[in-house]
Amino acid sequence: MLGKLKTGEKGRIMNIASADKFVRRRLLDLGIAEGSEVCVKCILPFGGPVMVESCGQCIGIRRKEALRIEVERV
Amino acid sequence: MMNIALIGNPNTGKTSLFNNLTGSYEYVGNWSGVTVEKKVGIFKNGKDQLIDLPGVYTLNPLSKDEGVVTNFFLNEPFEKLLNILDASQLRRNLHLTLQLLEYGAPVIIGLNMLDVAKNRGIQIDIAKLSESLGVNVAPVVARSGKGCDELAELVTAGAVGTGKNNLVYYGKAIEAGILELENKLAGKIKHPVRWLALQLFEGNPYVKNYLETILPIEEIEKLINSVTVDQQQNADSKQALDQVIHRKRSEAIDKIVSAATTKQENKKVPLTEKVDMVVTNKFLGIPIFLVLMYVMFMLTFDWLGFPLSDALDSFLSGPLTSGITAALAAAGASTFIKDLILDGIVAGVGGVLVFVPQIFILFFFISLLEDSGYMARVALVMDRLMESVGLNGKAFIPMMIGFGCNVPGIMAARTIETPKERLMTILLTPLMSCSARLPVYALFVGAFFVEQKAAVVLSLYVLGVVIALILAKVFSKTLLKGETSVFVIELPPYRLPQARALWRSTWDKGKGFVKKAGTFIFAGSVLIWLLAYAGPEGVNVSMDDSYLALLGGIFAPLFAPIGFGTWQASASLFTGFLAKEAIISTMNIIYFVPDEASLQGLLAAHYTPLAAYSFMAFILLYIPCLATVATIYKETGSRRWTAFSIAYALVIAYVLSLVIYQGGRLLGLT
Amino acid sequence: MIANILIGGAIFGYAGWAFYRFIKKSKEGKCAACSIQSSCSSNCSVSQEKKIK
Ligand SMILES: Nc1nc2c(ncn2[C@@H]2O[C@H](COP(=O)(O)OP(=O)(O)OP(=O)(O)O)[C@@H](O)[C@H]2O)c(=O)[nH]1
Ligand SMILES: [Mg+2]
Repeated sequence: MLGKLKTGEKGRIMNIASADKFVRRRLLDLGIAEGSEVCVKCILPFGGPVMVESCGQCIGIRRKEALRIEVERV
Repeated sequence: MMNIALIGNPNTGKTSLFNNLTGSYEYVGNWSGVTVEKKVGIFKNGKDQLIDLPGVYTLNPLSKDEGVVTNFFLNEPFEKLLNILDASQLRRNLHLTLQLLEYGAPVIIGLNMLDVAKNRGIQIDIAKLSESLGVNVAPVVARSGKGCDELAELVTAGAVGTGKNNLVYYGKAIEAGILELENKLAGKIKHPVRWLALQLFEGNPYVKNYLETILPIEEIEKLINSVTVDQQQNADSKQALDQVIHRKRSEAIDKIVSAATTKQENKKVPLTEKVDMVVTNKFLGIPIFLVLMYVMFMLTFDWLGFPLSDALDSFLSGPLTSGITAALAAAGASTFIKDLILDGIVAGVGGVLVFVPQIFILFFFISLLEDSGYMARVALVMDRLMESVGLNGKAFIPMMIGFGCNVPGIMAARTIETPKERLMTILLTPLMSCSARLPVYALFVGAFFVEQKAAVVLSLYVLGVVIALILAKVFSKTLLKGETSVFVIELPPYRLPQARALWRSTWDKGKGFVKKAGTFIFAGSVLIWLLAYAGPEGVNVSMDDSYLALLGGIFAPLFAPIGFGTWQASASLFTGFLAKEAIISTMNIIYFVPDEASLQGLLAAHYTPLAAYSFMAFILLYIPCLATVATIYKETGSRRWTAFSIAYALVIAYVLSLVIYQGGRLLGLT
Repeated sequence: MIANILIGGAIFGYAGWAFYRFIKKSKEGKCAACSIQSSCSSNCSVSQEKKIK
């Protein structure tokens, strides 16, 4: 799960089907789909959002959505 | 004359280019969703029109500002498209380009941010890119203006190709669906059917609405269903149509991009990531934000702004006043005219102008915030807090903009995707303390809280935010239940703001304030002075017998429990509905003093420090100004919500001031 | 005397005009002290959007 990665860890997205449909659309818009490589840049406290990077583009999403995105560590 | 539309992903520099090509100044900032409505400008050649649109990732909209673009495509005439691409994010940007090519209008591509791409080690072969898309590609750097003239020439000169509209093959099922729609629509519409069909299959609600005006709904639904079923059978997968279309486009883009770009790895950690490690740090994020705000207020009210205002004040009340007096005497003006000018206009307009330095300093910081890329980070840092009250971090951006002026803040709420959160943001943004309220604080902290000026003002701003958050919680539990909230935000790289852009942006915001002083505040001062000059018993009466006193006196008892039951206070609150600065000019005229310093001395006789704080809190919350009310109406399209926004603000302001004043007295404060 | 009438007329005339203009602009949701002030004159697409909804 993307939400389980620690700061600085990298992963490849395997499945985003279980994420919210809005979130999925936005991620697609931002060029993040199955197969993209992502890197967790920072995690905000108290269950706050995570900041991930993909192809030089940083985005922020909520932890609970990140927990619904399957990744494979690389 | 031609209409040329600027279109591209958010934050790719469309508005920067628009400003360069038309010589105008529109709102530029380093986050996604700066432009939220259509803007029209004239090319420097004086003939053709350039139309700036909000940024979109695809033509299938999620939020209101994106809807503006789809709407434009469906309903408005244009001759050419100028598609701006961010060279450092080519893959993502080309998704939109493919849709534009499917639309089949003449397109020219402006390849922007080449400097950024170069820093990342990305080399783009422009000729190859142009060849594989079949359209002209022109390199530009919108920020510095490099290449803009060439681009302008290219765009405004004669005919332009429409590019290749069949770059992507979407598979048997979808292609068959396109053909079927083509048969159904044959000759009935002016838009290209391939584009309409693909948008329909992707689930674009605007296109669906549009098609429903031509075809029966059932037929459309049936078509979508049959294509979905065919597709899933053919591919033997459960993927929805929009995902299939997206994947097909990605594949085509991969080919184009890998042929046209080369990338050298550079291992250097970009500066922006280092900065991010600090400002979005686990523990430091929110404290850093508050410290930055505190420094901003120290500079505005204490270190820099205060002495500047003082100097301006002594100029206005000294040389300027005596100059005017002398000139009037030479012209042989009567006492009426002399009083009108000196006690009315100079006092009223001057009283507001005195705060110009402070307003400019505040605007400078807001511009800095907007241009650096910190704005989106603040949204990220605030998201956890906002989530707990039923909003999302993005709602903080309109609120921050609201610190400058509530009107663009409310407009900025268009970028919020869910209608419920958008409505809440619109309703709550007026609680953000806009720059027009700043003179009131400056005056009162100067009179009552000399030692802790910045801290007291900061407390008011924070008060506004805290009340907004509490109300958000209340609203989302009562009036606006339901709907999950979502949050995905693009974090742009930090950009070092350019001095020139910063100045333009500060000036553009600040000049409105000066202009308003010269027009509305001028007129208001004349009116207020007249009302204070005349009374039921005739003209030139003592101020306490004037119409103004009469009017203010009616409501004064209402305000007694919250610490300021004078007719002066209620009279100035009235004018504040039209524009918040008017409160200051009204006070200046009523208290009838030559300069700011003596007004502050006089205020000490009418207010206690506790009453002063209560008054400031009341001003902060009591009512959105006329322009804000009109914008709320325009954006919500609902009389009820507009009335609600006024009513709840009045109630909250009264209750809060009551708590502050009576509570403070119970605690033994004065 | 003439100077008085001239100055007074100019002031009241200008004030009336400025007041009228301001109220008219404000009612359209335009704010003189805000960053979108100059661009407000362009026809916003809001009215159109209402049709769709
Ligand atoms: N380095 C660099 N920065 C640029 C360039 N062009 C624009 N920018 C910066 O990019 C940011 C975004 O510019 P805007 O013109 O507001 O972008 P936009 O496309 O209008 O954005 P939206 O209205 O949100 O869609 C600003 O901070 C600009 O200063 C460029 O060529 N190079
Ligand atoms: Mg823009």
